[in-house]
Amino acid sequence: MKLATQISIGFLIVISIDLIDSYTNYTLTKEVNTNTAFLTNSEAIIRNSGSLSRTIADIHNAFRGFLLTGDEAFLEPYNTGLNTIPALINHGHILTASPDQDRRLDSILAFHKLWINYGNLLIKAKRKAIRDPHFLPEYQRLFETQFKKRVAKSYSDEIASLLRTFDISEYKTREGRRKALEASIRRTETVSVFFSIFIIIMGIASAIFIVLKISGRIASMVKLAENISRGDFTQVKDDKRDELSSLSISLNSMSEKLSRNISELEKRNAELNQFAYVVSHDLKAPVRGIYNVIQWIEEDLNNEISPDMRKYLDIIPQRIKRMEDLIDGLLDYARISREKPVKEETDVNVMVEELAEMIVPKAFEFSHGELPKLWTEKLLLQQVFSNLISNAVKYTPPENGRIEISCAEKGDQYEFSVSDNGQGIDQEYHEKIFVIFQTLREKHDKESTGIGLAIVKKIIEERHCTISVVSSAGKGAKFIFTWPKN
Amino acid sequence: MAKKLIMNNKRILLVEDDELDIISVERSLKKLDIAYELFTAYNGIEALEMLRGKGGQPMKPLPSLILLDMNMPKMNGIEFLKILREDNMLKHIKVFVMTTSGEEQDRKAMEKLGVSGYLIKPLNFNNNNKRSDSMDAFVQFHIGKILRQESSFS
Repeated sequence: MKLATQISIGFLIVISIDLIDSYTNYTLTKEVNTNTAFLTNSEAIIRNSGSLSRTIADIHNAFRGFLLTGDEAFLEPYNTGLNTIPALINHGHILTASPDQDRRLDSILAFHKLWINYGNLLIKAKRKAIRDPHFLPEYQRLFETQFKKRVAKSYSDEIASLLRTFDISEYKTREGRRKALEASIRRTETVSVFFSIFIIIMGIASAIFIVLKISGRIASMVKLAENISRGDFTQVKDDKRDELSSLSISLNSMSEKLSRNISELEKRNAELNQFAYVVSHDLKAPVRGIYNVIQWIEEDLNNEISPDMRKYLDIIPQRIKRMEDLIDGLLDYARISREKPVKEETDVNVMVEELAEMIVPKAFEFSHGELPKLWTEKLLLQQVFSNLISNAVKYTPPENGRIEISCAEKGDQYEFSVSDNGQGIDQEYHEKIFVIFQTLREKHDKESTGIGLAIVKKIIEERHCTISVVSSAGKGAKFIFTWPKN
Repeated sequence: MAKKLIMNNKRILLVEDDELDIISVERSLKKLDIAYELFTAYNGIEALEMLRGKGGQPMKPLPSLILLDMNMPKMNGIEFLKILREDNMLKHIKVFVMTTSGEEQDRKAMEKLGVSGYLIKPLNFNNNNKRSDSMDAFVQFHIGKILRQESSFS
């Protein structure tokens, strides 16, 4: 699966959770709002019920006032109340949603109407009695029997009781709703906190998951790149199919190509060495043949050779010898990479002393500093020292000749130096001397083939080390080379 | 079944492809001052044809020794030697090997096939160690000894 897809999925999960959270919050808020609206409504109902109760009380008081005094002014609130009460009851019906409360309101209205009937009757009787005292007894009778016993007592008691019940019921519902409201607010809070934590965890988890996934694989690719830089052409294992895979595939193919090219190069090199070896080997046979023939001519014409001819014939073996030396040098040069050297315990002190014994004439002053003991390709190091010491001997006059070898540690390498006080090498030749068949001596010089330093350089460079020369004409030469510690 | 074979001690077969080496051997033999008969083959196949005879008529008498060069075209020394040692008629002939290789491996392969001696052809010259000297010494020591013996049967 592509990384972009995986990251998108991670984001989608987080966003979906967030959406669910929002939706839950929305529904909970709606619930809270409903409850709040209900409470507001309930308060309006109670207020309405209060108004109703007050208006009924006003009517009753006005009624009583009129009956006692006969003053029509008292009936003012009574008449207003007669219009207000049905409106309030109606309003109550609109506000309440409870059938019980509706029923109570209906009962209140019914009792009120009953009360009004008797009320009106008494008021009429009272007015009659005021206009004509003859009717006073009738009013008195009505007042005593009807009003006192039924209207005043039972009806208003019923109404009061119903209003009380109405209020109690409303308060009770309201209490329930308030509790529900509080609970839903609490639930909203809990759900919000839960989702917030869940989103944070999911976000962090998916981030960590992706980071770990990517960084682990990037690390393995970095390791591969490091391996490649060290010349170790491994492959990175990656069976995913995403953007990083194309990077790993490229790296793998690069590694493979490099590996192929390097081994191709090594093969070519080996072929070249083999070629040099075979060529130089085969060059020897004709030279040998020429030498033989010259010998036979000399043997057969022993007494007939003129002094001049003798001289010419003598030049031939000399030149043949030089050619042989060149071929041998070439063979040695080719052999460096051809043969696999073995590592041995090497005491460089002993090595250079033995070499000096063989190479350095007694007239020289030979010395060396404290040299290391190491586990290395002894024969090759020996060849390097041998060539450098021979070189020093060759270019230093024996009188007051000095050859000195020293060593210093440089990280994981040793830095050796071979110095002499001989004729030195001019700056312009410092590069040239390491090139094969380059010799600064004259061509007829038998001793110098120009291969020694080329061999030294090849050996040293194959070990990824370096060689340089510090010298100027007439002031001796110092060859400095590095060598791996193991 | 051992066959009675006539061999001539004065007869030498030189199997060598290099003209120079042939001359070299001839010159050394001359210095011995002994009568001899030298036959030359340029490779193993030619040598076998000579010994066995092209038309089924083998060489009579057979040479008592063969000077064999190792490195030859068509059939090299070792191959020739193997065939020689498997041939009842020819397996008793003494063989001296001339080679440029001083390698242990080659030496062992030849020893298994029973050779009487070696001449390692030197490739390098020193001013005081001439190549023809070693050929002379070799011929003097090994070949001279055999040539001076009386003809015999084996």
